[in-house]
Amino acid sequence: MEALKLDHVSKRFGGLHVLDDITLSVREGERVVLIGPNGAGKTTTFNLINGQLPVSSGRIFLFGEDVTKLPVHARAQRGIARSFQISSVYPNLTVFDNAILTAHGLRRSRFGVLRSVDAYPELMEKVQTALDHAGLWEERHEFVKNLAYGEQRRLEIALTLAADPKLLLLDEPSCGLTRGECGDMIHVINTLPRGITTIVVAHDMDVIFGVAERIIVLYYGKLLADGDPATIQADRRVREIYMGVEEGTERAGAF
Amino acid sequence: MNESAKRARTKAAPWAWRLLPIVFAVAVLVVMPGFLPSFLQHMMSKFLIFAIFSISYNVVAGYTGLISLGQAAYFGAGGYTVAVLMARFGIDSLWLTGLAGVAMGTLAAAAFGPILLRVSGMYFLILTFAIGRLGYSLTWNTPFFNVPEGIQGIAGLPRPATGIPGFQWTELAFYFFVLLVFALAMFLQYRLSRSPFGHSLEGIREGETRMEALGYNVWLHKYLAFVIAGAFASLAGVLYVFMNRFIEPADLDIMRSFYPMAMVIIGGSATLWGPAVGAAAIVFVEYFSSVLVPQRWPLILGTLFVLAIMFARRGLAVYASDLWSKAGAKLWKR
Repeated sequence: MEALKLDHVSKRFGGLHVLDDITLSVREGERVVLIGPNGAGKTTTFNLINGQLPVSSGRIFLFGEDVTKLPVHARAQRGIARSFQISSVYPNLTVFDNAILTAHGLRRSRFGVLRSVDAYPELMEKVQTALDHAGLWEERHEFVKNLAYGEQRRLEIALTLAADPKLLLLDEPSCGLTRGECGDMIHVINTLPRGITTIVVAHDMDVIFGVAERIIVLYYGKLLADGDPATIQADRRVREIYMGVEEGTERAGAF
Repeated sequence: MNESAKRARTKAAPWAWRLLPIVFAVAVLVVMPGFLPSFLQHMMSKFLIFAIFSISYNVVAGYTGLISLGQAAYFGAGGYTVAVLMARFGIDSLWLTGLAGVAMGTLAAAAFGPILLRVSGMYFLILTFAIGRLGYSLTWNTPFFNVPEGIQGIAGLPRPATGIPGFQWTELAFYFFVLLVFALAMFLQYRLSRSPFGHSLEGIREGETRMEALGYNVWLHKYLAFVIAGAFASLAGVLYVFMNRFIEPADLDIMRSFYPMAMVIIGGSATLWGPAVGAAAIVFVEYFSSVLVPQRWPLILGTLFVLAIMFARRGLAVYASDLWSKAGAKLWKR
């Protein structure tokens, strides 16, 4: 089954075509990496998928349902979870409060006023599991702004996973991490349950080839290439973008 | 949840030390008024009414982060409903007029909410102010809202009838009635701040984009918070008219909206006791300074504002509770 389908999706800001007639589909459980140079439209693609930006034309389907007109929270209710390029957990709230907000987000209890926020045993268990997994349970009463950047990043990913997403969008999960932390991150992504469809935006080659089953290349708003890692690596146009002009190393040397 | 609450949980001072401020608060609120002269009992009632009004502001601005300058509109809607029912329709039942007042203020918030929440930030502030002005000019210009006619406002209202045989209002009895309503308002604020819904409001204050991505319908949560705040504001307005037996357009003016804002900032935004502490500080400093230095009391009030902002930025309630915890930790270390 198709987890996600973009059907001739375009996005324009005034006269600027940020995404131009993108058609692609992702099967359920697939691990896709989205790459492309700066300004290629990767983050915009994520914004269109989770609804933060409206499409200019085209349609978006989530598990067969047309979600083009649905607002962000309605798409989240249908199983899209997203991590952001710049860490977006709330710095002025505690680790625990951040986690419990995520846990209530997809349930009716988000409107609850009769019980205390931590009087939901099944959610508390979930929060503990997620924070344990990120190694942050001991620090649950700490303000997020007091955590190291790597820890904040880990928290964000742990919370994104705690929402039990069906479609996971990770925007540069390794951004700003050390090499060791980056390896941990690859491990986390690779050990995700197979049922979760995952799309990752990445620049780091370790991440790209560490997690990708399929790579989609965007170039100035156009879909340049789409295929398994070996095909993409061999693709002449992709090599041109990433390694410079290929059939002219002597010309490149002349610069 | 605020920082001091977190710190209190991990701190070593015995429970008795932590209970002491609560004992003190109960003594001041329950025992002391019986021994005060009636004009100070009146001031105590005024302070609690403004504390309830500040809870309204705390919900909408402190927890949710919607900076409003129009809470007086809902305060006034509650107050004018009571006054009009009494003066125009001869209904003086406490329960009937009170419930009608709160219902009207809540409905007003529910009706204006969708207009106000089309915008955010500074534009929200300006729009709440504009809607506040609307209420002000409505009560100013409409003969229906002026009794006796020609004079601004509604004066000479009766004491509300309780329906209890043989019951006579005294200043102290009215104070205890207000105290009961205040306790209820505090309890509701406490439940709200501890609940998942209350936490969602804090999340929205910290950033709407993430809340949307987590599945929260941010607009709906803000709207509900605004309506709840409207209910608290109109409750305060109802009590205010019961107390003064008089209401005028100035009670809907921007100065009236500014009071709860200042009280929450001085007392401690997004804290349980902040609104009450801020209301106490402003009501009593204003009163006593105007008695002691009749010409220069705004100077004293202004100095208090400046000092509070400089030295207790997160509010007097937070400042005091931090000092108390630190003192306790020091005492029991030895």
